[in-house]
Amino acid sequence: MGFTIAEKILARVSGKDSVRAGDEVMAKPDYVIAYDFPGYTDVYFRQMKEDFGIERVAEPDRFAIFIDHMVPATAPKEEELHIGTRTWCAENNVALYERRGIGHQVAAEVGYAVPGAFVVHFDGHISQLGTFGTLAMGIRRNLLEAFVRERISIKVPQTVRVNLTGTLQKGVMARDVFHHLVRTMGPASCRFQVLEIGGPALSQISTEGLQTITGLAMFTGAVTAIVNPDKERLDYALARARKQLEPVCSDPDASYSAVYEIDLDNLEPLVVIPPTPANSHNLSEFLGLEIHAGYLGSCASGRLDDLRIAAKILEGRQVKPGFQLNIVPTSQEIMAAAGREGLISTLVEAGAFVSSPSCDYCFGRIATMTAKQRAVSTGTLNVRGRMGSPDSEIYLCNAATVAASAIEGALADPRKYL
Amino acid sequence: MSLQNLHGRVAFVFDEINFDVDQIVGVKNIKITDIEELAAAAMKSYDPEFHDKVKPGDIIVGNHNFGYGHPHYPPMRAMQHLGIAGVIAESFSPGYWRGEISMGFPQVSCPGILDLVKRWDEVEVDWEKNEVRNLTRGTSLPIEPLSFADREMLDAGGLIGYLKRPMPVS
Repeated sequence: MGFTIAEKILARVSGKDSVRAGDEVMAKPDYVIAYDFPGYTDVYFRQMKEDFGIERVAEPDRFAIFIDHMVPATAPKEEELHIGTRTWCAENNVALYERRGIGHQVAAEVGYAVPGAFVVHFDGHISQLGTFGTLAMGIRRNLLEAFVRERISIKVPQTVRVNLTGTLQKGVMARDVFHHLVRTMGPASCRFQVLEIGGPALSQISTEGLQTITGLAMFTGAVTAIVNPDKERLDYALARARKQLEPVCSDPDASYSAVYEIDLDNLEPLVVIPPTPANSHNLSEFLGLEIHAGYLGSCASGRLDDLRIAAKILEGRQVKPGFQLNIVPTSQEIMAAAGREGLISTLVEAGAFVSSPSCDYCFGRIATMTAKQRAVSTGTLNVRGRMGSPDSEIYLCNAATVAASAIEGALADPRKYL
Repeated sequence: MSLQNLHGRVAFVFDEINFDVDQIVGVKNIKITDIEELAAAAMKSYDPEFHDKVKPGDIIVGNHNFGYGHPHYPPMRAMQHLGIAGVIAESFSPGYWRGEISMGFPQVSCPGILDLVKRWDEVEVDWEKNEVRNLTRGTSLPIEPLSFADREMLDAGGLIGYLKRPMPVS
């Protein structure tokens, strides 16, 4: 019986010839990543010293810190947090990436998505490094373990395999593929397991699209998602990789706890109805529903694919008066590329409010919706209160649907504009 | 290492699948840090008299994929403050599970628990025999054993205590 890519990666980092799902091992992460956030990094920095007497992390090259939340700071208290982070990174000689964009995206850009590597973060959306064959897990506060010990305790997860088949239709995006997985397999289908995505249709999904799919893995219950990287993903990742590892792939006879075949032929644009990410429906069931705001961005969107399709839809058209469309490219690298392509000017001329990269529109900081207001969003979540009042509503959808809905002020099918 | 058994009444049953624990205090209260204030907000929309009925050592019961969504820590801080000693559910969402175990708050995965207990039944969680016993009805069900690390973490009262112990050898 062969091994999954997750088993192979965890075998290497736990110093064993092989491990199997269910084994409990002590694994040394190749990279430990975090963004500065009150109650997380500031607490780790303090606990390291006060509870464990550790003045400096042992191998600073294994650590990376991002400042992407509370950017720009809007109060001295937030700036104080950032100052504390800068100071800690300087003292520890740890890499700090500030104002470069959303860390989960920037981590890939600056080479932490090393194929075959094991990465931990407190935030589960780091799973998107799985696009490049990196096993990246969010372990919440347990990340402290990686700050105070070389190895962390981990139970080797089982793997659920998804084979994508068929052809993605016009106006249907990777975002829809993900929510279709949740709809078909269920929000608990991959609980405590790795979601491994493959199949003949995988090559149709762009690298950016795969970042969307793998980044949302937690909503299937998965601890992370991963693919066996093909040439396109390896070309991107190896050119930027911070260290050389032999990329690994699942064996053809690897053992999976379940295998799903997901056909993309008949997939339509979807919408995820509040207040749970488990509530996917065909967009066609909800067309015409009045919408007041739109958000295109987050670590699950806001990339060039998303900006291009939004620009295509909005070119020569106008956002409906009174509709608030916020577009936030995911990183500075993406924003600059979008500028060179002319996408930014198209979006701005159509009436979009385009901001520099930041997590703040997604995680509930710029959250201004009042009771009864509704938004379409490519953010990560549609739970109550994520964008303002607990009595406002968030409809998750793909970037094209956000753009089309901004024109009509209502949930709109993007395909008629493409 | 001897993890203390849980022994108490079923103070509430959340029968919603994919239950978002933030609802226990309500999303609008999720950023409250004062524990008294948080506890005062907890359970108001489920049972306004919950605070008067609950006793230290009571447990709560949940359905499948308990803790799904984007769980925050304050709801269970509030429940612990009110005396809740642990959660038994059909199954758990991993992010929630990991978060609460690291806080030293016992979580028990027990397929079939919803049929085993009714509200206010007296139950015991036996970590050695890996079973939940309904003392009111004289019935029992096996629980899913804790991993070594989870068990150690609960025994140590949470992540910090766990990390102060010698590193396990694998």
